[in-house]
Amino acid sequence: MRRFASLVLVVALVAVACGDDDTAVTTVPATTDTTTASSAFPVTVNGVTIPERPERIVSASGAHTEILFAIGAGDQVVATDTFSDFPAEALETGKFDGFNISVEAVASLDPDLVILFFDPGDVVAGLDELGIPTLLFGPPTTLENAFDQWLALGAATGNVAGAEQSVRAADEEIAEITAGLPIPSSPLTYYYELDPSGFSVTSDSFVGSLLGMLGLESIADSTDTAFPQLSTEFIVESDPDWIVLADTVCCDANAATLAERPGWDQMSAVAEGRVVELDDSVASRWGPRIVDLVGDVAETVYGPNG
Amino acid sequence: MTATPAPLRLALLAGGGLAAALVIGLMVGPASLGPGEVLAEVADRMPFVSLDSGLSEREASILWDIRAPRVVLGMLVGAALAGSGAAYQGVFRNPLADPYLLGVAAGAGLGATIVIVFAGPGSVLVPLAAFVGAIAAVVATYGLGAAAGGRRTGLTLILAGVAMASFLTALQTFVQQQNTDVIREVYSWILGRLGTAGWGEVRLMLPYAAVSFVALVLHRRLLDVLAVGEEEAGTLGVRPALVRGVVVVAASLAAAAAVAVAGLIGFVGIIVPHTVRLLAGPSYRRIVPLSLVAGAAFLVLADVAARSVLSPAEIPIGVVTAFVGGPFFLLVLRTARKGLA
Amino acid sequence: MTAITVSGLTVAYNGHPVVDDVSLEVPDGAWVCLIGPNGAGKTTVLRALSGAVPYRGSVAMGGSDLAGLGRRAASRIVAVVPQDPVVPPGMAAADYVLLGRTPHLGYLAAETIGDRRIVWEVMERLDCADLAERRLDRLSGGERQRVVLARALAQEPSVLLLDEPTSALDIGHQQHVLELVEGLRRERGVTVVSALHDLTLAAQYAERLVLLDRGVIVADGSPDAVLTEDALSRFSGAKVEILRSADGSPVVVPRRQP
Repeated sequence: MRRFASLVLVVALVAVACGDDDTAVTTVPATTDTTTASSAFPVTVNGVTIPERPERIVSASGAHTEILFAIGAGDQVVATDTFSDFPAEALETGKFDGFNISVEAVASLDPDLVILFFDPGDVVAGLDELGIPTLLFGPPTTLENAFDQWLALGAATGNVAGAEQSVRAADEEIAEITAGLPIPSSPLTYYYELDPSGFSVTSDSFVGSLLGMLGLESIADSTDTAFPQLSTEFIVESDPDWIVLADTVCCDANAATLAERPGWDQMSAVAEGRVVELDDSVASRWGPRIVDLVGDVAETVYGPNG
Repeated sequence: MTATPAPLRLALLAGGGLAAALVIGLMVGPASLGPGEVLAEVADRMPFVSLDSGLSEREASILWDIRAPRVVLGMLVGAALAGSGAAYQGVFRNPLADPYLLGVAAGAGLGATIVIVFAGPGSVLVPLAAFVGAIAAVVATYGLGAAAGGRRTGLTLILAGVAMASFLTALQTFVQQQNTDVIREVYSWILGRLGTAGWGEVRLMLPYAAVSFVALVLHRRLLDVLAVGEEEAGTLGVRPALVRGVVVVAASLAAAAAVAVAGLIGFVGIIVPHTVRLLAGPSYRRIVPLSLVAGAAFLVLADVAARSVLSPAEIPIGVVTAFVGGPFFLLVLRTARKGLA
Repeated sequence: MTAITVSGLTVAYNGHPVVDDVSLEVPDGAWVCLIGPNGAGKTTVLRALSGAVPYRGSVAMGGSDLAGLGRRAASRIVAVVPQDPVVPPGMAAADYVLLGRTPHLGYLAAETIGDRRIVWEVMERLDCADLAERRLDRLSGGERQRVVLARALAQEPSVLLLDEPTSALDIGHQQHVLELVEGLRRERGVTVVSALHDLTLAAQYAERLVLLDRGVIVADGSPDAVLTEDALSRFSGAKVEILRSADGSPVVVPRRQP
């Protein structure tokens, strides 16, 4: 509900959120009608001008692949990287190596829009030189940032209405989930595990801000870095109320394996099974499945809601 | 020239240093366990002593299941890296020889990576593969150095080692990239795992460490004999090739076990033997055993720094040793340059 | 009893023979000195006798074939003082001499007090005990030469091979060292094969000289027999005069042509 009224403001914020030097101005109309695609173009998003509605989109970002399909741009996607494994339709697009992204590999797919979430070494510059519109998004830090990216993709792909709708729907669902939760006055603490060697997140991170909406606070907040590696001693001594695992797929982490780690059986969260097991990719992306993320955590921590 | 300090005094100094490191290691850490309570808890474990240390069950578990094995593993790994460094220096007559620089650690890394890709990180083959990789690397480095520029050229050996390390690391990166599903496990292994060690890792390393430490110490006098070169050692009744072979195998076993269990930790094999050499003189009869003890103490203290400086965040221990070791290495290079061709 | 029997010894480097079909018999307790110009093969013969270079032909020590003895067994019989010994940087003189005890220690054994005592005694006899704690690479040439000899003596060998053992010594120390070797020969029947280029000294101490030229023995006999002006001019290209000292041993004096 919050986003609905200030669309133009939101799209202007896209430039700020994604850190581009250009002050991006969008020419997306401030209506909610499904205007015909041709009237929306050319459009400038994040300082990048997209001349026409793209029909050959290449996505090298798992998160943005999910967003593209959610906002209705799925038909326009021709290739995704090997890490883009959701939704199922993404697996049917052309595939290229997401680990070694090269300008040649991407350009050979003849794209008219390329989406990246990091630049592995002058790929953006290379694509710019070839005249291929390329959008480089950084990871968001708040839910608003994430929604901004959805809307930016909507504008860039000519799916403004679809993007708005997705944002609205996600916003409402999250609000529904958080409403009526018995959030305690002093926050519940959690240890969030990115990998078994102790890498964690603070409440300032994207996933931290989502968990913050559920009244959860990271034990890593006393450190200065965004993704600190926490000492095992500290984790055990902190005895957090909850343990959230984001490495269940890669590294076999679950409530049972936690109990096998030396000293972990002393944590009340391990002893009492207060462990949230998240799928790695759901936990690390900011597409439509953030609703699932919030929902899973809320359900595990507070019990199934009415 | 002054006489070197009496062996007994050195032994006491080293032993005392290790004991102090052990105590500090047990007392200092991000978990707030009081030093007095720690001592009481340790005393309580002694036979015939029964004390209430005041630690809760969780705190006691932190001490015995998390901190103590970490300290003990630090001792074993530090001793292994320093001891193997001293041994390589004796065998190759080169003050810059150390498991990291000779490519031994990279070889161990490649061996372990390959096994992790096919059999998973928990496989018992990992340390064995690390050992095979380590031996292959040191043989290849020595062969490359000898082929390139003559045996007496100490610098050639180091250059060969750096080239070999780069090559093996590149191979390893390639293997990782082809198998990105296990890349996280490999990285976690590579960057060092003293932090998540338990008594299991200690038990895994102990037999390899014990065998190689004994072998290295027993050969310390023979390393001194190697100093007079191939021909004269022969006239003294020693087979230099045999001694070199045995010592290299023992040193590589120690280094491979350390890398398999704790990942790549550099510079220990340079810093410690050189400091020992400065204090105890050039005889390997002293350098080898003292390096084992001093290496153990050094790594325990480095690990204390790694877990305390940015507490509760951890600094990877390889960063701490590089921080101390980088400038130290330059210093050694300056003074040693005269001795290298 | 012959200490050393050499038969048909040939040593070749890169196919080129440096020592060619040399045969020699050295009785127990004798002192034989190899003489000859540079490159004659003296050092190579000594290296072959110590087992340091591959050779064709046979070398027997005390009746046993050298090649058949293990390296250890050989090193308990033969000790070498090389012409250019390797100087390990930083090693103390006493530790260096202690290396001479290696043949008598088990593979992994450590040195005993007895070994250290032998080292001390040997260094005393060679007048270098005061150098014990000093670094080998910081000694003068003469001091170092005595320490190297001490190491060889610490091996308690029955055959001593000396390659130019006095080249860096002053005349006093030269005599001292050679007297010492002579003393060992008398006391313990040590057999000595040396290479010396000081022909007068060679004549004084060795009872037999072997003249080598381009790898071949050209003369073998008593100093009087071998040291002739003719032979020396032919093989070393020097013009010399042979004088007699008071005790009758030949003195080789270079003669300058006007």
